[in-house]
Amino acid sequence: MVQTAIEPQDFTGLRARRQALDAYWKQSISGYALVRKHSDFIDHHLADSFEKSAPPGEGFALVALGGYGRQELYPFSDIDLMLFYDPAQKDELSPLVDAILYPLWDAGLEVGHGVRTLEECMVDASEDFFFRVAMLDARLIAGSSALFSRLTEMYKTAYIEGKRQEFLDDMLEQRAKRETQYSRHTYLLEPHIKESCGGFRDIQSMVWTAQVVFGLKDLNSLHEAGLLSQEELKKFEEAQDYLVRIRNRLHYLSGRKNDQLFFEHQEEMAEAFGFKNENNMLAVERFMREVYGHMQTVSVTTGLFFEHVLEVSGSEESSKAGKMLEPGIEIRHARIHLSGSESIRSQPKLFMRLFYQAAKTGCPLHFRTRKTITANLDLVDDKLRNSRRTAKLFQAILVSAEPFRVLEEMLDTGFLPSYIPEFSMVASLAQHDVYHVFTVDRHLLQTIAELQKLRQEESTIFAVVDMPHILFLAGLLHDVGKGFGHGHADRGADLARQIGERIGLETDELDTLDFLVRNHLFLSDTALRRDLEDEEFILRCAGLVNTTEKLATLYLLTIADARATGPTVWNEWKGALLLELYLKLALLLDRNDLSGHEQTRGAELGAQWIREKVFELLPDAKEKDFDLFSDDYLLSFPPEVIVQHIVHAKKLEKQDVLFSHEQSQDSWSILVMTKDRPGLLAGIFGILALHNLKVLAAKIFTWADGTAVDTIEVSSTISETYDGQDWETMENELNLVIKQRFGLQHRLSQKLAPVRSKPQGVQQRLAAKVTIDNQASELYSVIEVFSKDRIGILYDITKTLSDFGISVYRARIGSKADQVVDVFYVLDYDGKKIESPAFKNELQQGLLYAVTNE
Amino acid sequence: MKKIEAIIKPFKLDDVKEALNAIGIKGMTVSEVKGYGRQKGHKEIYRGAEYIVDFIPKTKLEIIVEASLVDEIVDTIRNAANTGKIGDGKIFVLPVEEVVRVRTGEKGKEAI
Repeated sequence: MVQTAIEPQDFTGLRARRQALDAYWKQSISGYALVRKHSDFIDHHLADSFEKSAPPGEGFALVALGGYGRQELYPFSDIDLMLFYDPAQKDELSPLVDAILYPLWDAGLEVGHGVRTLEECMVDASEDFFFRVAMLDARLIAGSSALFSRLTEMYKTAYIEGKRQEFLDDMLEQRAKRETQYSRHTYLLEPHIKESCGGFRDIQSMVWTAQVVFGLKDLNSLHEAGLLSQEELKKFEEAQDYLVRIRNRLHYLSGRKNDQLFFEHQEEMAEAFGFKNENNMLAVERFMREVYGHMQTVSVTTGLFFEHVLEVSGSEESSKAGKMLEPGIEIRHARIHLSGSESIRSQPKLFMRLFYQAAKTGCPLHFRTRKTITANLDLVDDKLRNSRRTAKLFQAILVSAEPFRVLEEMLDTGFLPSYIPEFSMVASLAQHDVYHVFTVDRHLLQTIAELQKLRQEESTIFAVVDMPHILFLAGLLHDVGKGFGHGHADRGADLARQIGERIGLETDELDTLDFLVRNHLFLSDTALRRDLEDEEFILRCAGLVNTTEKLATLYLLTIADARATGPTVWNEWKGALLLELYLKLALLLDRNDLSGHEQTRGAELGAQWIREKVFELLPDAKEKDFDLFSDDYLLSFPPEVIVQHIVHAKKLEKQDVLFSHEQSQDSWSILVMTKDRPGLLAGIFGILALHNLKVLAAKIFTWADGTAVDTIEVSSTISETYDGQDWETMENELNLVIKQRFGLQHRLSQKLAPVRSKPQGVQQRLAAKVTIDNQASELYSVIEVFSKDRIGILYDITKTLSDFGISVYRARIGSKADQVVDVFYVLDYDGKKIESPAFKNELQQGLLYAVTNE
Repeated sequence: MKKIEAIIKPFKLDDVKEALNAIGIKGMTVSEVKGYGRQKGHKEIYRGAEYIVDFIPKTKLEIIVEASLVDEIVDTIRNAANTGKIGDGKIFVLPVEEVVRVRTGEKGKEAI
């Protein structure tokens, strides 16, 4: 069926406007055709009103301004009108105004109107930038053409001829203002089709400027004048047309003048534009990707145009000769130039060299060089992508002072996605949620910008990073796996490894890159969702991250990523949680790092062997449980005994203390397992003394989860038999001690009073010696106590240590004849070595007192 | 009507939410807050740099319910948020004079 075109006269009066629009929609008239039709419709009815009421003669002209002047009238746009009159006709004015405006108001239209004489026009134009610009698109709808020509001539003479520079300055000022106002997060998520970067204002300001500065009236003439290449023109027109269709539909959907693509409209728009959910990507995300892509085209094209205008308008001198930076590249007026566009075709290595020079000098690429790059991207082939030299330059750019600026130029020119094809999959990729304010490619660049800032703000932590170039590369690539549904971190890590291999990274660099991308959400997930006081868990995290360097790198990446995502993702609150996690892991890794040096390779292998043995004996033990055990613990017991400990430890879920004893060849062996706590060792030794047991040797360990495993070899000082020993009372008392309900101190002093009645002589004091050594172990302070043996001496020593707030992590108790040599591996109350000389001395004196007095 | 305000450890939010869901509480207001009580802030020194955590991040839940439900909800939150360590948080119960649903103008019980 052939549809007949609908004409404005088919509708009676302006009230039928909505009907007319509906009719156009039904005929699938969209884009420019629709705004033109709409404009014609209003023209027709306004001309009608004008003809009916205007007095004969040349006294009046009805003029359309702004968008309506350009015949681009969106469904709910303001209708900018001016009734222009000859002052001699003032008396006739009022009825004519009523006749024109009332029907518009009655039809519920938003009208921007003015009634002006020539003189008033000139005054207003001089005062109001927007009116001055609106006048550029002035169009006569009805009335005297002679009067209208007088106005346009006068306007041209006053505001265009000889005023090009002022006009340009105004344009640039407005452009800069828009940039600051509309690049805020809300406008990124929900772009403003008119005012945002890459919106209609950018298009118009380019067209206006071309008109005023060069006398070029449309895009085609820009192309003919060589300002836009055929390719650029085509892309730009496509973008423009797309934006027109969006704006039309947006007005239609919102039922009002709304130019912002709000969240609630995006899905409906996507459907209206025929997008479907496919390949793990929502229709709305596909749609928004197109929108961002087109806005990017507009933004880049108009940006290049204004750079051109600035250069030729003489605000920057162009006569001065440039300075050669290297063959084919020169610097002129603080811009990097390609010296001849031919050379890039014969020497594709110049691509990366240009960006490298931009990074090195801190100067941007000249717009013409940027255009040359874009026009020659077909030269970026596998050979260039696999070039080691080019890769080295790329890595140098990543760690330059301002990698963000250079990478942004690489993205805007299209070089980045050509060089790293994996990157093109996330170009303009939108994520339909309230967290991600940037498209993925922009987010990745923003991450680089944040890393750049963190280099200063967190310089202490940054100093720990051993591979800064890998950190920046991970920043650039961490989300490269997006766009295919869940698991983007793993997919991204695989892609990053592939890219890393291509640019010739070493194995350890590849591993770190892989690790960073794969785990880039690990710290933030953990900080928010896990109990940071769960020591076992923190220990496992430390095991995963493994080194302080990697931790610092991952931490900085995490912050940069979060900050670059959007304001809802990063705030001080989350920062505090993340910092807490970081510090916990950092302090732990710092210590573990050092303990690694203490062990010889042989011991490590031995420990590994025992791990395997234990694993065989205990098939349902999980691999990670072994992280609890230090190598020296594993090396101190036969595998069977370790298995016993593990089995016992399960019981600790139900009871506080596990106490067992057995008879071995020439001594008795006691095992105490419980949660480590201050004073535990003193408590155990105290109970032993109270029960007439002398410590022959002891192995004191604390698992990483805080379980103390103390094995003590004892013998009876009163020659009691194993069976005669009152183990049951002993266990009860030990339980009471641990619950702090047992007065060990007074019971012991009562018990030992007779033995200790002899005053300790000077000789005794001389025999005693206490040393505190911070060199022997890199992890702990080692305290050695030499003294004459006596009952309760271990209690006194460990009680003293506990009074000083010192934790014992390992101990070796030995006695030869009646001399004891006890070695304690300890850390102070804050978990640090005993460094302060004053404290060292105090502790030494305290221990000496303990072993020589009661 | 009562308002229940609970300050909990952030990582416990999911547990508490689930537990409340299970007893039929579907709506609540959640905010990120900072403060300190017995679990004081602390200072960490790492590689010569000082890191001061003076306020500790916590999560605040606010729920408005009929008075008869208060005990059950308070117990549920307490159980779900409990780790047995310092800093597990606090629960406050406050009287509420009136509730109005903005959209419909409903008041009292209907508006909860």
